[in-house]
Amino acid sequence: MPKSQNVCPKEAFKPSKIKFKDIPVNQYKSDIKAEIKAHGKDGLKKMLYDMMIIREFETMLNSIKVQGSYQGMEYNHPGPAHLSIGQEAAAVGQAAALGVEDFIFGSHRSHGEILAKTFSAINQLNDDELNNIMTSFMDGNILNVVKDGDSKDVKDLAENFILYGTLAEIFARQNGINKGLGGSMHAFFIPFGSMPNNALVGGSADISVGSALYKRINKKPGIVIGNIGDASMGCGPVWEGLMFAAMDQYRTLWNNDLGGSPPVMINVFNNHYGMGGQTQGETMGYDMLARIGAGVNPEQMHAERVNGYNPLAVADATNRKKEILLSGKGPVFMDTVTYRISGHSPSDASSYRTKEEIEAWEKADCIASYKKYLIDNDIITDAEIEDMQTKVIGKITTAMKLAIDEDISKYSDPKLIADLMFSNQKVEKFDNREPEVLLPMEENPRVKQLKRKERFGFDAKGKAISKNKVYQYRDAIFEAMMHRFYTDPTMIAYGEENRDWGGAFACYRGLTESIPYHRLFNSPISEGAIVGTAVGYALSGGRAVVELMYCDFMGRAGDEIFNQMSKWQSMSAGILKMPLTLRVSVGNKYGAQHSQDWSAMVAHIPGLKVYYPATPYDAKGMLNAALAGTDPVVFFESQKTYDFSEQFEKGGVPEGYYEIEEGQPIVRKEGSDITILTLGPVLYSGMQAAEELAQKGLSAEVIDLRFVNPLNYDIIVESVKKTGKVILVSDACERGSALHNIANNITTLAFDYLDAPPVVIGAKNEISPAAEMEKDYFPQVSWIIDAIHERILPIEGHQVSHNYTRGELSRLYRAGI
Amino acid sequence: MATEVLMPRQGQSVESCIILEWRVKEGDKVNEGDAICEVETDKATFEVEATATGTILGIFYPDGEDVEVLKVIAAIGEEGENIDDLRPADNDSSAEQEDTSATDVVETAQADTSITAPTIQAKTDGIGASPRAKTLANAKGISLNAISGTGPEGRVIERDVQNALVSGAPLTPAAQALMANGNLNAPAVGSGLAGRVLASDLSTASPSDAQISVPTLADIDVPVKGVRKLIAERMKASLSQTAQLTLNASADARQILAYRKECKNSAEALALSGITINDIVMYATVQTLKRYPELNAHFLGDTIRQFGAINLGFAVDTPKGLLVPNIKNAQAMSLKELSMAAKSLATSAIDGSIEPDALSGGTFTITNLGSMGIESFTPVLNAPEVAILGVCTITPRPVMNGSDVEFVPHMGLSLTFDHAAADGAPAGRFLKDVVDSLAHFNLTLAG
Ligand SMILES: Cc1ncc(C[n+]2csc(CCOP(=O)(O)OP(=O)(O)O)c2C)c(N)n1
Ligand SMILES: [Mg+2]
Repeated sequence: MPKSQNVCPKEAFKPSKIKFKDIPVNQYKSDIKAEIKAHGKDGLKKMLYDMMIIREFETMLNSIKVQGSYQGMEYNHPGPAHLSIGQEAAAVGQAAALGVEDFIFGSHRSHGEILAKTFSAINQLNDDELNNIMTSFMDGNILNVVKDGDSKDVKDLAENFILYGTLAEIFARQNGINKGLGGSMHAFFIPFGSMPNNALVGGSADISVGSALYKRINKKPGIVIGNIGDASMGCGPVWEGLMFAAMDQYRTLWNNDLGGSPPVMINVFNNHYGMGGQTQGETMGYDMLARIGAGVNPEQMHAERVNGYNPLAVADATNRKKEILLSGKGPVFMDTVTYRISGHSPSDASSYRTKEEIEAWEKADCIASYKKYLIDNDIITDAEIEDMQTKVIGKITTAMKLAIDEDISKYSDPKLIADLMFSNQKVEKFDNREPEVLLPMEENPRVKQLKRKERFGFDAKGKAISKNKVYQYRDAIFEAMMHRFYTDPTMIAYGEENRDWGGAFACYRGLTESIPYHRLFNSPISEGAIVGTAVGYALSGGRAVVELMYCDFMGRAGDEIFNQMSKWQSMSAGILKMPLTLRVSVGNKYGAQHSQDWSAMVAHIPGLKVYYPATPYDAKGMLNAALAGTDPVVFFESQKTYDFSEQFEKGGVPEGYYEIEEGQPIVRKEGSDITILTLGPVLYSGMQAAEELAQKGLSAEVIDLRFVNPLNYDIIVESVKKTGKVILVSDACERGSALHNIANNITTLAFDYLDAPPVVIGAKNEISPAAEMEKDYFPQVSWIIDAIHERILPIEGHQVSHNYTRGELSRLYRAGI
Repeated sequence: MATEVLMPRQGQSVESCIILEWRVKEGDKVNEGDAICEVETDKATFEVEATATGTILGIFYPDGEDVEVLKVIAAIGEEGENIDDLRPADNDSSAEQEDTSATDVVETAQADTSITAPTIQAKTDGIGASPRAKTLANAKGISLNAISGTGPEGRVIERDVQNALVSGAPLTPAAQALMANGNLNAPAVGSGLAGRVLASDLSTASPSDAQISVPTLADIDVPVKGVRKLIAERMKASLSQTAQLTLNASADARQILAYRKECKNSAEALALSGITINDIVMYATVQTLKRYPELNAHFLGDTIRQFGAINLGFAVDTPKGLLVPNIKNAQAMSLKELSMAAKSLATSAIDGSIEPDALSGGTFTITNLGSMGIESFTPVLNAPEVAILGVCTITPRPVMNGSDVEFVPHMGLSLTFDHAAADGAPAGRFLKDVVDSLAHFNLTLAG
């Protein structure tokens, strides 16, 4: 809590009542004159047209999935197709109220939203803008396919461009809007404001909040809508996103110029079902979904339920909410009631609902009723509608014809993916404006203090310098952060207790004095949303550094790390960058839920870079590298080393800027008899083990891995060729340790040179005990020597303290420990 | 002086036998040749005979004990004799444990006996060799089979090969010291006495190692025991108790080379492709030996026993050392049969499964060093056999052809015979006949 705001017992204990305002439910009243005024007659017709486009697009996919053909063209689509027949009015009404610069994120069921938003944008952009976008997008590949058709004008061409590009994406073609690497559930087209759609239920909620943060902090125009399903209200990350979006600080502590709360609307396309679970009446208890807004903040998130079967009602509501958002009074929560006539997917037998129910909704069909409304009000004629239908079928047919033609639309080349897993770029800053800071860097109190510190751990006589006088690992983190804060105006950092506290481990102490609130702030205890919003921020174009206070909390951010942060660069075919550094502090002394090194979990996930510096020199150089890159980095720091001085680089930690080359392990001590590979703080145990081995006549080479991925094996293999023996050590539990992977790769790369199989040791496959007993849990120097003696090179005269015999290992494996 | 009774070696692969039952007890009187106990290997049960007439003075292992072969299991002598000298070391609890360290090498420098910590023991049931040890052994041209491992569970690891390099090869101590110290390669045969590798024979493995200082390394004493002891005794006995001398000759090898080639390329169904030059020499020798019974004999002091059958011994280099199995009734075999018999005996000698019978009863021996490029040597008699034929390498030799000199491949042959049993003339004739039978192998094959 900032000191500027007082927490007062008198206030806290004062009797009063929480009063709720009414939440409007379906309050829209039709007024054709007003609608004509708002949209124009063409605009009203255009909405019908867009709805018909979506209906036909989805009908085409349904027909392919169910009958294997559409309009006489046979095709087999093995992938997903979550169709939105019945929900067209909701998507189109929303898009009708949005500008090109407004963003929408969506779900697995978002074909309709993509088409609605892009068609709306096409309608708003002029021909030059459209031509520019189409010719520059993917070198004009998509345009080249559609441009020779019979488009009557640029807008018509742009529609065909999107229809073809989206369908090619669904069909995994190179010409897809994401080169076929995203597919049905992930497709998007940023130039028209259609942002990534997400196959994880509720996945877009916190990401859209992060994207809105990006708009707010970088003063970008427009609002952001996270479209999610009603069933996703059961997802933790959705709630976390709401908490994050509704923080008080945007309006109480952030600079007023920024404009208040992030302009984000969480909009629920409430079609009453998850897959088969009925939300209202079975799997939830909210009665009406809009009620949820009332629990979040005093504005009740401006919650409202609207009739999603009437595009005009949705457009009206969206319009009103957009104003609120632009004035900084968000977030907004919308309950857009709709119904999907189609099954969840083509395999859905609708066993969870009655025929009568479906028929009732078909009777109320949004397209039929909107047609009737336009005809009744003399906006359109039957003949016009018929022409429209012919045109729509023609367009969809053409798009399909082109998309399934293997000469025109080649399947995506899986070989492309390898080069898209990482963007591997260096970007000094993502915007050229002056970074907003509160002080010149030299005046920062911690910067001044660090000037007085010794930057190498030992004095000229080799004596260790006292903790108070020496530059520490945590100072290295601070310096790297400062550098990038003062360089890249888009860079923001947040997490739990990141601001005044300075991060739980004082790495950020002193940043508060230099960095304004909106660039460095405390987040709610929402690990999922901490990472998820950072994903949204980064993919929108800014640099984010977020922190997990303990590695053990990573599970709380599982989806955001494993599926979001890691996947979007490649799923977008390189359109998106992910300049996101996730600092993860690895604990100890705090027992079983605060002491785990989970580097293996992220090592396993394609698309993540994994750094683990063990020294101040590396902490600064590696964080500098992470903060200059464009890829998602999981940056581990051990709490064991935060107060460590630099003990290897004789010149100390440089004051200036430098980067450690990514993926390069480093030889900490040369030796000829055995290689000890360490990851993280066990480097120091490894060094001690080397000393003890020297007393036993063995010369150990110690290599600090520093990186888990990417990892250059050259130095390691060279060492193993020399010594023939290698032991790998980290604080992670032995089973599934990332080091097993590395050990296996060493075996592959240097088998003929090995004198024994590489040996991996780690913490026991048990809970970490209390601090007092940790010596029996984390690998100790003696364990390293015992394992060498028992498994690699029996050492004359060595007495073991830890059992690494095969018999014991087999027993442990068998027992699952 | 009491007489020892050894646990016999029942075949070369047998390392120990279990004593099933003693038929005598201490104090019993026995005659030489009496069965005194029954022992068993994993393949067979047999009896151990008294080696002297007298009183059983000591029985050193009880029933059921697994005893290494060639260990003293009992002593026979006159009552009251002291047999402490015969008592095996592991039989006396007060005596020091026998050294079983990796290479049987005792470094005299390592006098420190105060170490109580566990020592690394080489285990015989090793689990193979590490890839690195294999690579090193290959590069240095030494066999892993002879090396005991000191890695985990007895795995042969790099240091074992390095130790073997230092202690095993016929290197002079100075050369050993250099090898241990530097990045050097030793030739297979050195320029020292009996091919010992001298320091000057070592070549630098990489030019960068220019500086070689001669370090001082402890002298080493290798105890003579086990198989080594047996071989040593046999060889010395052979040389001291016989009047052996060696004749050298060489045979035109064109026909046998051509014949070998023909066999090699023959149709698979004929099963002749495995016939080797050595098989051919053995066959020619057997055919010739039929006419020289005085050389197919044992010299037994009072008698010379000339054998009706030819049991042809041939030397095989095995992981356990030199073994000489013999092919029984070789005189009755075709070349093909002889070849197959030789192959199967050699295989079982190498893998250790050979029957003890195949190792005794030989009447004449052939030993082949041709593959090592040996041009002539003096084979040592496998006494009491009276002759042994050494087969040497094939080298081109100048032969007058009219006025031209032609180089013709010739195989060297070195025949050692016991002058006590046979005279030079028949031995020389025999050798000449062998030479002829090889030179005209086509005719030899005709029978
Ligand atoms: C985290 C997660 N859990 C489960 C699923 C499987 N799944 C896909 S769609 C779906 C139902 C989602 O319902 P809702 O959020 O209401 O969206 P709708 O399908 O109705 O559009 C489920 C359970 C998933 N994709 N992601
Ligand atoms: Mg739903």
